[in-house]
Amino acid sequence: MERHIANFRGFMRKYRRNVMGMIGLVIIVFFMSISIIAPLISPWDPYKMNTGPPFAPPSGDHPLGTNDMGQDLFSQLLHGARISLMVGFIAAAVNVAIGTMVGLLSGYFGGKLDEFFMRLIDVMIIIPGIPIMVLIAAYLGPSMWNIIFILVIFGWTRIARVIRSQVLMIKEYPYIEASKAAGADSFRIIYDHIMPNVVSLILPQAVLSIVGAILGEAGLSFLGLGDPTHVSWGMLLFYAQSYGAFLRRAWWWIIPPGLCITLIGLGFTFVGYALNDIFNPRLRR
Amino acid sequence: MGVKEFLFKRLVFMVVTLFIVVTLNFSIPRIMPGNPITHLMVDARLPPEVRSALVERFKMDKSVFEQYVSYIANLLRGDLGLSFSHYPRQVSTVLMERFPWTLLLIGTSTILSTLLGLFLGVISAWRHGEKVDISIQTTGLALWSMPIYWLGMILLYFFGFVLGLVPLGGATSPRLGYANTFEYVKDVLWHMILPVATMTLGGFASNTLIMRGSMLEVVKEDYVTTAEAKGLGERTVMWSHAARNAMLPMVTVIALNLAGIVGGAVFTETVFSFPGVGRLIYDAVLAHDYPLLQGSFLIIAITVLLANFFADIVYAYLDPRIKY
Repeated sequence: MERHIANFRGFMRKYRRNVMGMIGLVIIVFFMSISIIAPLISPWDPYKMNTGPPFAPPSGDHPLGTNDMGQDLFSQLLHGARISLMVGFIAAAVNVAIGTMVGLLSGYFGGKLDEFFMRLIDVMIIIPGIPIMVLIAAYLGPSMWNIIFILVIFGWTRIARVIRSQVLMIKEYPYIEASKAAGADSFRIIYDHIMPNVVSLILPQAVLSIVGAILGEAGLSFLGLGDPTHVSWGMLLFYAQSYGAFLRRAWWWIIPPGLCITLIGLGFTFVGYALNDIFNPRLRR
Repeated sequence: MGVKEFLFKRLVFMVVTLFIVVTLNFSIPRIMPGNPITHLMVDARLPPEVRSALVERFKMDKSVFEQYVSYIANLLRGDLGLSFSHYPRQVSTVLMERFPWTLLLIGTSTILSTLLGLFLGVISAWRHGEKVDISIQTTGLALWSMPIYWLGMILLYFFGFVLGLVPLGGATSPRLGYANTFEYVKDVLWHMILPVATMTLGGFASNTLIMRGSMLEVVKEDYVTTAEAKGLGERTVMWSHAARNAMLPMVTVIALNLAGIVGGAVFTETVFSFPGVGRLIYDAVLAHDYPLLQGSFLIIAITVLLANFFADIVYAYLDPRIKY
């Protein structure tokens, strides 16, 4: 236990010196707190219509103005943070689970299984992602769980590849050979000896996977495939594009959602790279 | 491995992938919730006799295997069914009308973002650690992290709506014909400024980064030192000796990015109402025009596959490790 605490202290010391990582962390913490206290700090119910005149510019009553139906855009933006983070975390968790499992099995057992997964990933990478995601989403219908499902179908491949290449290296180590000779079965070896050695790769990949899921949700929502019962940031831009934000010069409807998507994406990217730098210094260029 | 062997391997991979894409396109409407006949043939926008003719032609009342065979046969004839929202036009007719626009947009912006990425990457590496390098990298990172549709919306908002400098959408002005071809080309170019700018700005950063990294490696090589020692000018060394050899990774990266570039085109065309396949996908989703959506996916996937194979050919001839 003490060793873990010492390790954690050492990690924190290194992390605090990483400027990019700290900036990213601040951004993430900011958006996470917002999404938790969104109902408390929203001046209006985000779905209530006619809280003010339509297309009202920012004012004391409506810090970011209103949309075509007089809904308060600031409240909608705060609630959008919840959707983005929720979709991001859930999709990334499943992606990590699938990607890690495939990477471990594929790398350790090799042979036909490995061949199958690697060719599958080759094919998936070459098929244009956005068009096929749109195609599937159009059939499944707009719901948050469908979007998460689609993000998972196409989201696990990179993690699987990274884990696999690490496993290929680790399984050549003498101690693996030794435990094999001692009669340990494959799953024991994977679980006890290989897993602990890939954790340092999983963490940064998990964080980067959140970025992919958040941007994916925003993109699909922008194309009108989002869940209409929740206002996400991508959806805000879809509505802005479709319901006259340009014609009414409603910049307050266009700028903030995209800025949030950009910032949160940058935040997680920075943290992901910082973790990579700390855990896997050899990978750094 | 010789060039021929390498290309043959890639060709086999492409053909297999093409087969998978076609099969996916066939299976998706059949494994999704709902009735595939309703998805693909029966829509209130088509007259009843047309629907039954379609069911007949695509063997929708027969077994899945027969459906698959007739699907492939129809595909080879270029028959992708009827569009619901553009009735009575064929899906293939609509696609052929839109496809050249997408090619034009993707082609122009890919060339521009490659050149821009190359140029800035070389400068950045040559002056690495200096102010120029840092500002190029920061700008690139900022543009790269913006969702491309938002970047497009901002450009459209300021240059189109606020300043009124460029057209607000489409690829041509709504008017009755042009005095001559030159007028037409001028009008199209005028409409393409913002969409091309959006895709170029959104895409050049990754090229810059790759080129910079590759240049930094090359600069360490002995022949660069030799060239400098010979007394050649800085520019000659930078462009003719270092940059030329640093370019190889770019070819691979452009090919790998292609699927992403196509995704960017879907968003960009949507923002600018550009009459390409990307905007068509968006419209087809809103109109629940499934046959058109399927056709659009297929044509885009095939294009990406072909372009990848083309990149393989280029790569095979550029990389001496494959050639000899």
